[in-house]
Amino acid sequence: MLRSRFTIGLAVGALSIMVAAGALAQMSKSALIGKLEGPEVVTDPAKQPKQLKEAPQFAEMVKAGKLPPVAERVGQDPLVIKPLNEIGKYGGTWRGGFTGPADFWNGYRCCSGPDHLLFWDYTGDKVTPNIAKGYEMQDGGRTLVLHLRRGMKWSDGKPFTADDFVFWFEDIYRNKDLVPTPSAAMAINGKQGVVEKVDAYTVKFKFPEPYYTFPDVLAGSTDLGGQAWRGAFGLGGYAPAHYLKQFHPKYAGQAEVDKKFKEAKFDSWVRMFLSKNDWSQNPDLPVLSPWKTVTPANTPTWTLERNPYSVFVDTAGNQLPYIDRVVLTLAENLEVINLRAIAGEYDFQARHLDLAKVPVFIENQQKGGYKLYLDPGDYGGDMIIKFNLSYEADPEIAKWMNTADFRRALALGIDRDQINETFWLGTGTPSSVVPADNNKYNPGPEYRKLWATLDLKKANEMLDKIGLAKKDAEGYRLRTDGKGRLRVEIMTLGGQFLQFTQIAEMIREQWKKIGIDLTVQEVERSLALQRTAANEQQLAAWNNDGSEHLFTFPTHVFPFDAIAVVASSGPLYAKWFQSAGTQGKEPPARMKELMAKFKRAYGVPEKERIQLGKEVWKITAEEVYIIGVIGMGPASMGVRVVKTSMGNIPSRQYNSPDGKTPTISRPVTFFWKK
Amino acid sequence: MLAYIGRRALLAIFTVWAISVLSFVIIQLPPGDYVTSYIAQMASMGSVVTDEEAQNLRIQYGLGQPVYVQYLKWMRLIAQGNFGMSMEWRRPVTEVIGERFWLTVVVSVASLFLTWVLALPIGIYSAVRQYSVGDYVGTFVGFIGLAVPNFLLALVLLYLGFTLFNAHIGGLFSPELQDAPWSMARVWDLLKHLPIPALILGLAGTAQQIRIMRANLLDELRKPYVVTARSKGLTEIDLILKYPVRLALNPFASTIGYTLPYIVSGSIIVSLVLGLPTVGPLLLKALIAQDMFLAGTIVLLLGVMTVIGTLVSDILLVWVDPRIRLEET
Repeated sequence: MLRSRFTIGLAVGALSIMVAAGALAQMSKSALIGKLEGPEVVTDPAKQPKQLKEAPQFAEMVKAGKLPPVAERVGQDPLVIKPLNEIGKYGGTWRGGFTGPADFWNGYRCCSGPDHLLFWDYTGDKVTPNIAKGYEMQDGGRTLVLHLRRGMKWSDGKPFTADDFVFWFEDIYRNKDLVPTPSAAMAINGKQGVVEKVDAYTVKFKFPEPYYTFPDVLAGSTDLGGQAWRGAFGLGGYAPAHYLKQFHPKYAGQAEVDKKFKEAKFDSWVRMFLSKNDWSQNPDLPVLSPWKTVTPANTPTWTLERNPYSVFVDTAGNQLPYIDRVVLTLAENLEVINLRAIAGEYDFQARHLDLAKVPVFIENQQKGGYKLYLDPGDYGGDMIIKFNLSYEADPEIAKWMNTADFRRALALGIDRDQINETFWLGTGTPSSVVPADNNKYNPGPEYRKLWATLDLKKANEMLDKIGLAKKDAEGYRLRTDGKGRLRVEIMTLGGQFLQFTQIAEMIREQWKKIGIDLTVQEVERSLALQRTAANEQQLAAWNNDGSEHLFTFPTHVFPFDAIAVVASSGPLYAKWFQSAGTQGKEPPARMKELMAKFKRAYGVPEKERIQLGKEVWKITAEEVYIIGVIGMGPASMGVRVVKTSMGNIPSRQYNSPDGKTPTISRPVTFFWKK
Repeated sequence: MLAYIGRRALLAIFTVWAISVLSFVIIQLPPGDYVTSYIAQMASMGSVVTDEEAQNLRIQYGLGQPVYVQYLKWMRLIAQGNFGMSMEWRRPVTEVIGERFWLTVVVSVASLFLTWVLALPIGIYSAVRQYSVGDYVGTFVGFIGLAVPNFLLALVLLYLGFTLFNAHIGGLFSPELQDAPWSMARVWDLLKHLPIPALILGLAGTAQQIRIMRANLLDELRKPYVVTARSKGLTEIDLILKYPVRLALNPFASTIGYTLPYIVSGSIIVSLVLGLPTVGPLLLKALIAQDMFLAGTIVLLLGVMTVIGTLVSDILLVWVDPRIRLEET
């Protein structure tokens, strides 16, 4: 909301943009988008560094006897990362901006490490060991065995062991007050799994049915995605037992816990407990991340400092991170963040930077001492249009939205090049909803343009053929029930990374040529959610970021989430899917086929899963349940400004919620060259 | 007089209670609740809230309960001196507001001070030298200040500050002093950052006050007592400052009722644009996020301040202008 209001701010800089736009036109798209690269995790024990080194301030503390030696702090099995270009130097501060406690990602994405048990390699495609040293599937995919790092410590120096998993599972996850509804990530086909300790450094996650996708679930942005990501919700997969027990009634006693929460002015012990396990807000919380919160995210400056017990090291044995502290300053609105970035007041910032301001960023590169990078996503839709396939309020509209050729014709009526030039400055790709060609679930190059080109003749023919041939005096098609013009409504939200409303207005103009009358309705976001949940939405504009990780981020591929989604391709179908057919409405055959394939893929080995994933994408692209407009663009968090004196910066990084970009590029290896 | 104040105080308590009910109802009016706006916020940041998580949050925050139950819960907390926990900031509401409260007061008092320092002399001058060149210049500048939306002015100043002077953008402190404990350096830093917001915030008010001062003073200057005083040989300065100006000040006293809440929240948009860490942006965000305890407490605070302000200005008027008398009943 604020974003659109203050784009007025842009008007002020309009002149400079005009000048710079010329400069941009001369730079090709390829000059701004570099090669995908990044650091790697070294898993071969033979290549482990023999000797460990540490930051100067820790060396002094060790000398003064305030800290145990580095080898003792890191343990026998460090997490070795090979930096992108070179071994770095210790020191310095990384400055960035954030917009308040709700903008948790800013600090999380830079500084959490991540503390996932497993994570992705820099391409975002392959699962690699992370906090866990290694893993294996047993029992035909029913059991995942995780090997922990020997001698690894929490940030307060206490050992990190299998007990922290058991405590999490027994006393947090299974406590009905802390986690009232169990997580779908801990279940396969609706059946919950269990966590068991084998020995101090071995943990088992056991499930009643094969769950081959489970390593991806641990690596992805799911409920088991580590303490920093989910601790505040009583999830994450592990928790610091030795610290949290003092806030848990089972260990501290109900009376003591009640006294504590009242003193701290919390509403209940549950709120207190969860807020104590909040990585971004509790400086006392023992963590595994390389930086830890010093001044919390709910103060004007969110500061994080290096964790003396960080398990991350480089190939030369230097304990990571290189950079001492990260300081994120509160900006009350997004224009201030953009202006500060232009002024060079941030060292590395990608969140909240506005694609429309790219020319201004380029113009000020020299003056601000930074370089602009674009990180296009691997997902097929920076902007997509979802049809609500379970729509019921207007039977005529419902009928057409459920007619495949109607959806396809609408998709053919969009001039994607015009939209790309206007709103993406030509940096996106006109595309269907399928992910990038190099993605393992991509069904094949022929699907990129399937029903995703401009073909007015064919679109008109198709619409005529399905029974919408009659038009009114202005050339708009008429409803078949005699109630006048066929009007469809698209719901948009303001204040997003992209100006969905303005793009929808452009599509409205384009659809006039195929005789479709589109009404663009920008709604406030809570209202959008309510209308979606109440099955009142017809079309809705959104993006499908994250969908390249089909099985950990399926929300924008088919009707998956029932409640918590701003744009849905069928809330009643989602309910049907989530309740295994007991609630909601039964979807049509093709959709059921898609859902069945998706569900089956969780329980089969990777090779089969990839095949099923391709088939899921084939169906979505052929049926056009969702119209792809522009994809693989940098609109969503892909505009990155980095100081030129910072080292180990990839020229292009994998940009996705699952990659927690820039975490995928391992910010622990970033350093100041001077 | 005491009975009058007592009666007013009783009424004030009732008014504040009514405000608390109203503010709570208003906050509940928009569709959805904190969890819906949380989900929407997550979604717009490229993240998804699962259905289970949404349910868990609703249970934990007690959002499923009827409105009156939530209101009574809040009232019970307030009775214990606890204004509740901000859902978004996950800290006690009093802490969240307290931190920003004093900075807000500093900014607003500075802008008020600037307003009066500029408006009074210019207003007096304009009235005394009506239709002189100075009057026209003052009027012209005043109307510009009144006509230009001050957030636009803020944007222009930000941009000029950046392009011409390479100034730090937004905020009240330099980054390195942001979290430093209070010291001379930090106070000096604050003073250096203060003029621009104070000027922008004060400009519109200045124009208004110039007009009021000028109009009131013009009325007074034509009255016979002024002629009498002049005929008795008082110097012009003594004459004007002692009698007509004092009378023309009445409206200033009577606007205090609105000035007090203004000090806390009168500058939401400008504060947003300039990135000032004040209560205004906090209120806006709390309303957007439907963080009901935080928004409710701020609205309540504004209500209380209006009530107190009105009371103070009534008393002040009686004191400033002896012609105003209480009606004894």
